[in-house]
Amino acid sequence: MKQKRLEATQGYIYILPSLILILSFSIIPIFMSGVFSFTEYNVMNSPKFVGLENYEKVLRDEYVRAALVNTLKYVLITVPIQTALSLTFAAFLAVKMQNKSGEFLRSVMFIPVIASAVTSGTIWRTILGTDGGILNSIIGIFGFDPVNWLGDSKTSLISICIVAIWKNVGYFLVIFYAGIMDIPKSLYEAARVDGANTYQQFFRITLPMLKPITSLVVTLGIIWSFQVFDLSYQMTGGGPGYSSVTIVMAIYNAAFKQYKMGYACAMAMLLLVIVLIINAVKQRVFGEKED
Amino acid sequence: MENKKWTVSSVLGLLLVIVFAITCIAPFIYMILMSFTKSTTLTLRMQDINFSDFSNFSHVFNKSGFFGALKNSIIVVCCSCFFNCVVASMAAYGFEKKRFPGREKIYNMYVATMMVPGQVTMIPVFIIMKKLGLLNTYFSLIVLIINAFGVLLIRSFMAGVPDELLEAAKVDGCPEHKIFINIVLPLIKPVLISLIVFTFVTSWNDFLWPLVSTTDSDMYTLTVALSLLKTQYGTNYGLIMAGAAVSFIFPFILYVFLQKQFVEGIALSGVKG
Repeated sequence: MKQKRLEATQGYIYILPSLILILSFSIIPIFMSGVFSFTEYNVMNSPKFVGLENYEKVLRDEYVRAALVNTLKYVLITVPIQTALSLTFAAFLAVKMQNKSGEFLRSVMFIPVIASAVTSGTIWRTILGTDGGILNSIIGIFGFDPVNWLGDSKTSLISICIVAIWKNVGYFLVIFYAGIMDIPKSLYEAARVDGANTYQQFFRITLPMLKPITSLVVTLGIIWSFQVFDLSYQMTGGGPGYSSVTIVMAIYNAAFKQYKMGYACAMAMLLLVIVLIINAVKQRVFGEKED
Repeated sequence: MENKKWTVSSVLGLLLVIVFAITCIAPFIYMILMSFTKSTTLTLRMQDINFSDFSNFSHVFNKSGFFGALKNSIIVVCCSCFFNCVVASMAAYGFEKKRFPGREKIYNMYVATMMVPGQVTMIPVFIIMKKLGLLNTYFSLIVLIINAFGVLLIRSFMAGVPDELLEAAKVDGCPEHKIFINIVLPLIKPVLISLIVFTFVTSWNDFLWPLVSTTDSDMYTLTVALSLLKTQYGTNYGLIMAGAAVSFIFPFILYVFLQKQFVEGIALSGVKG
C-alpha cells in the first residue's frame, strides 16, 4: 500500500513539469479562446460579452470569406499533387533504385523540407519576380511570355501552391518510402511467380498495403495546408488584393494588426472545428483507432 | 519488388525524378550565387558573382541586426532542445513506468492537444504573456516549443525499456532519481537524438509566434529578421539572399552530418503526431 502510494507520488512528480506547461499553454488557452470568441476584446480594456456577434460577423466578412476560399483552393491543389508525386517517386525509387544513387536522390529532395518556409518563400519570391526573374527567363527560352507570378491575382495563389508542393514532396516521400520498405517482400515474390508485372504489383500490393500511410499523408497534408501562413506572408503578404489571403493570415491580421482579439478567436475556433472535422472524417473513412 | 529492367516508361520516370531533384536543389544554389553579387536586378549575370566579396553578409550581420538575431535563434534553439528533452523524457518515464490514478486520462488529454492547431492557442497565450510582462523574453519563445509531441514520441520508445532492469536497480537500493538519470536516459538516447533534431528544426524555423511575440528588434529571431529584409531593402536581392543563406546554412550543415537522424526525427513527427 505504502509502496503504491510512493510510486504514484513519483509518477506525478515526473509528469508535473510537462503537465504545468501543457495546462497553461495548451489546454487552458483552448478554453480561453472559446470564451474570448464571444467577447469584444482589445487587450487594453476588459473583455465585453457580445454573444454570437463575432461569429455572425466572421461569416459575413468578405475578407474572411476570401481567406476561406483561398485556403480551400490551396488545400485542393497542394494535397492531391504532393501526395501523388511523393507516392510515385517513392514507388519508383523503391522499385528501381534501392541503391546509393536512390539514397542520394532522396536526400536531395529532402533539402527543401529543412529550410524554413520563410527562407523558401524569400528565395522563390526572387525566382518568380518580374523584370528578369529567373523563371520567366527560363520559360522565355521556350517562347512563353513572362508571367507576373506573384503580382497577378490570377496566379499568386497558384504560385504559392507550387512552392508548397516543392517543399512538401520530400517529406512525404520519406514517409511513403519507409512504408513501402515495410511491406513483406514475400508478397511481391508470390505476385511475380504468378506473372504480375510492375504496375499490377503496384496497384494490387503496394497501394492497398500503404492505405494507413496514405491516410496519414493525406490527413497531415490537409491539416497543415489549412494552417498555411509563412509562405504566403513572405511571398505575397496575402495580395494582390485578397487573392492569396489565408485563414491564419486573417486571424493574424485581426488579432495583431487590429487588436480585435475576440473576433480573431472566433476565426481560430472556426479553424479548430475544421481540423477536428478532418480528423473525425479520417477516422470514419479509414476506420482506424486512435493510437 | 525490385525490378532492374529499364523500359521506356521507367527511363521517363527516372528523368522525372532527376528533374524534380534538380528543382529541389537549384533554388539554394541560386541563393548562394546571388548572395555574392551586388545585384539590384533579378538577372543573375555570371560576371557579377564574386566569391571573395562578403560585403552582403557583413551588411546583414552588422546593419540589419542579423548578429543579434542569430544569437537569439541559437539561444532559443539550444534551450528548447534541452528543456524539451528533460521535460518530455521525465513525463514519458512517469506515464510509462509509474502507476498512478488518472494516468491514462491525463495521457489522453495530452494526445488530444496534438490535434489543436497552434494558432488556436496563440492568441490567449499572447494575452497571458502580455499580462505577465513576458513578451520579448527568451522564456516566451522557448516555452511554446515544448508540447505533448515529445512525450508521445518518447513514451512509445520507453515501452521498450525492460521493467525487470528498473526493478533490479531498485532492489539493489539505487535511488529513484539515479535510476532515471543513469539507467533510463542512456537507454533512450536514440529517441532523444531524434527529438533534438526535430525540436531544432521546428524552433529554428518557427515564424508566426516569434513574429507576434517579439516587438523589440533586439529579440527578433532569424526568421523574423529575414522576413523584414524585404521591406528594408526592396530590390537589393544580393543582400536579401545573403540573409536567406545565413538562416539556411545552420540546419543544412546539421543535416549533412546527421542525415539519418534528421530524416527519422522529422518523419517520426508525422507518423506519431
